[in-house]
Amino acid sequence: MVDDPPPQTVTVSFRVNGVERRLSVDPRYALADVLRDELALTGLHLGCEQGVCGACTVLIDGEPAVSCLTLAVQAEGSDVRTIEHLSESAAGLGALEQSFLRHGAFQCGFCTPGFLVIGHYILDNGLAKDRETVRALLAGNICRCTGYEPIVDAILAVSTGANAAPQDAS
Amino acid sequence: MSEGSIGKPLLRREDYRFLTGQGRYLDDIAFPGALHAHVLRSPHPHARIRRIDTAAAAKAPGVITIVTGRELSEWTTPLRMAPPIEGLKPVEFTTLPLDKVRFIGDPVACIVATNRYLAEDAAELIAVDYEELAPVTDMDSALAPGAPRVDDALDSNLVSHQTFSGGDPARRFAEAEVVVEATFRQHRQTHAPIETRGCCAVWDEGRRHLTMHIPNQVPHPYRTQLARRMRLSEGQVTVISPDVGGGFGQKIALYREELTVAALARALRRPVRWREDRTENLLAASQARENVAHTRVACDRDGRIRALELRLTEDFGAYCFYPANYLARVVAMILTGPYRIADYSYDVMVALTNKCGNGPMRAPMAMTSWIMDGTVEAVARKLGLDPIEVRRINMLAPSEYPYRMATGETLEDITPRETLEKAIEVFDLTAFRARQAADRARGVHRGVGVCCVVESTTYGSAFYKAAGIAGSGHEAGWVKVEPSGAVNASVGLMASGQGYETAFAQVVADGLGVDPEDVRIHIGNTDTAPYGMGSRGARGGTAGGSVLQVASHQLRDKMLAIAARLLSLNTSAELRLRGGKVQRQLGGAWQDAGLTVADIAHVAYLDPLRLPPGMEPGLEAHRAYDPPPMTYSNATHLCEAELDVRTGALALKRFIVVEDCGTVLNPLIVTGQQHGAVAMAISGVLLEEVVYDENGQNRSGSFADYLLATAVEIPPIEVIPMHTPNRKTATGSKGMSEGGVMGAIGAVMSAVNDALSPFGVVAEQQPLTPYYLRSLIRSAS
Repeated sequence: MVDDPPPQTVTVSFRVNGVERRLSVDPRYALADVLRDELALTGLHLGCEQGVCGACTVLIDGEPAVSCLTLAVQAEGSDVRTIEHLSESAAGLGALEQSFLRHGAFQCGFCTPGFLVIGHYILDNGLAKDRETVRALLAGNICRCTGYEPIVDAILAVSTGANAAPQDAS
Repeated sequence: MSEGSIGKPLLRREDYRFLTGQGRYLDDIAFPGALHAHVLRSPHPHARIRRIDTAAAAKAPGVITIVTGRELSEWTTPLRMAPPIEGLKPVEFTTLPLDKVRFIGDPVACIVATNRYLAEDAAELIAVDYEELAPVTDMDSALAPGAPRVDDALDSNLVSHQTFSGGDPARRFAEAEVVVEATFRQHRQTHAPIETRGCCAVWDEGRRHLTMHIPNQVPHPYRTQLARRMRLSEGQVTVISPDVGGGFGQKIALYREELTVAALARALRRPVRWREDRTENLLAASQARENVAHTRVACDRDGRIRALELRLTEDFGAYCFYPANYLARVVAMILTGPYRIADYSYDVMVALTNKCGNGPMRAPMAMTSWIMDGTVEAVARKLGLDPIEVRRINMLAPSEYPYRMATGETLEDITPRETLEKAIEVFDLTAFRARQAADRARGVHRGVGVCCVVESTTYGSAFYKAAGIAGSGHEAGWVKVEPSGAVNASVGLMASGQGYETAFAQVVADGLGVDPEDVRIHIGNTDTAPYGMGSRGARGGTAGGSVLQVASHQLRDKMLAIAARLLSLNTSAELRLRGGKVQRQLGGAWQDAGLTVADIAHVAYLDPLRLPPGMEPGLEAHRAYDPPPMTYSNATHLCEAELDVRTGALALKRFIVVEDCGTVLNPLIVTGQQHGAVAMAISGVLLEEVVYDENGQNRSGSFADYLLATAVEIPPIEVIPMHTPNRKTATGSKGMSEGGVMGAIGAVMSAVNDALSPFGVVAEQQPLTPYYLRSLIRSAS
């Protein structure tokens, strides 16, 4: 076994899901790795580490970002929100999450946190104008299972208030 | 099914964790004390390994050890792929290459360090001395005389060659009024699940037991392989699959990296974990679909087909993790599909090349319906006939089932004609033709494509026997009612998005007479799940659902026998279970009998002297079920496309699937599978392409190059059910989830060719890039 010299680290401070954090990180670590490995926020996933698949999407200061291409040190002083925070609601599953459930908007679930984060962004900013607009806004997230239509349906349903009371499993 | 759960569109119950970021995929799971493995890969497509110098890398920070083919040859056995199939050459390869590398990305060494970043740093310090060799980069040059050999133990790169002839095709061709030929070139693709491969091996030295945590579709067969290669007994190995982030056939085989990680865990007596990044996944996991098919058909002037001949060649890559004929043979076997063709021959060749090895990718037989319907369309073009009419002339009529195909497969309980007519009706073909003509006049080119799919699914044991392939198609399951009345059940499958936890809870609930809410499905752990053949070949619903129904019925009958005893009745004939409660038929009406499943379970476990004489305590049923040799589902796909002839851009406007999948366990899940299959096909036909250049360099190592469809490219897909049951499976289901790929490939190609018909050119290759479509259009003028 090799006794490693301690790695060179940098201190970075930012708010994660409403909680102030102050972490010592290797400056080359991606924000995704710090959130997942240091803070156990394993909802976001690494599908490509190339910024294309969107499975690692988080909100930084309210804007969507791919955390795989964001260095942890770049998050200094910012407000980071992940799926764990966004999917909570006082009554259990949030409205968007319930809509995903109702519309069958996921299968294996691996890309789902990324779609939920961008879905929250779309809805919170009133961007779900029509089907074509929602499709274009989802172009930064890849799903290999669903063919996307149920995801578009789920987001539009919340936007238009089309969802009735949650459907019981019966 | 009247009051049962089967067929209800229940919302999926495994979903709470997926909706809140609490899914547990391999890389999400913390394994205390685990070391991290990283694989050094070959930068050359074909080269001898002269020397590997790890001295500098071994001293890098955090490095624990570095191993190569030498250590792995001591720790593990090689893989020998040698099923007794005529025309298939046996192949064998070591866990890590010893002598030479065969494709860019071939694993050469494995570094173990305290974290992934440091392991990757160390990899850059390893010096490998390669002697480059000439690569073979396409199937034609691979099969040419004197080609460099990919596998030095073989005398050529032709690793598999099978021929077949049924009926008398030669005579039909000699007598034919017309002979038509067609070509179909399918490009190389890769599965690209959003979760890449990875695993964590935990070796317990005290118990001498290996636990392999790995997302895998077939945990038990995987365990058998892993134990054998590690020279362990199956009693010393547990495979546990956490949530799987997509498989599509890529997460079946025991890969060399995984075996290396397991062997390292045992040698180091520390847990070792591994995750490949996306570039590694695109370069070195598994690839698929690179095939060229030539068909020749003898027909009458009215379009009636008299004989069909297929020549099919596949580029299998450099390593055989499966028998080399495994994928292509299905195409050849079911090619005639829904058509009446008794005189049929095929010649199938599979070549090794210096590329990543192939594996089954959702619908390994994906090009089948494109080839068959494309050939029918070629006949129609040659004779100036309507391609729908030519389909009708040749398609089997309902009265002709059961129909024995030339290859020996039996088609029954399928409805191709019905789905074809329904698709045409829903689409309103007549109105479209009028619209198409008007639009053409103003330079807008639309096309409509049709594809008739007959999808082979399930693959029972009798199929493997008849095909000379070792292996079984049965599935195993157990159902237990616990002392409290809660129900646990298990089956030898592993989910990667199919919603088994919900669908199978419905089957068990239906079979027992309880609420699905009270049933929990446990899968993926080889210690607790029964030995099954895993999830592949669209078998899950039929094989798994059927065995759970059989087991549930057995347990239900035992519970009713106990209830009869407790109610002092001679027989349970007038009793049934509904919603966990016993009901008794009295005077033609069903009434509550005052007993619940919990009451019965209490007696069975904790008061067994009250059981019927001779009955064993407990409420457990453990069964196995072998489905029919093959079950078939069918569908007609119809696609409307718009082609911009100035740019070659193709937009899909409308997509209809009329499907018959037999009894549907859960319609939401089945529709979801159909959408996913169609979307994967569209993505493949329009965008995806694994590109190896003439030097053997893989040019598609990132998602910037290997393009997957996004929400923008996938049109709305209308799925119209026309389900009829299969009379030979326990639940009546037929299997599905791959046919969508087959049909969509054919329908999109057909639509493009319909759009191109004024130009007199035919698209016969994929992907349908703007570049290719423009080159076709230019060639017309």
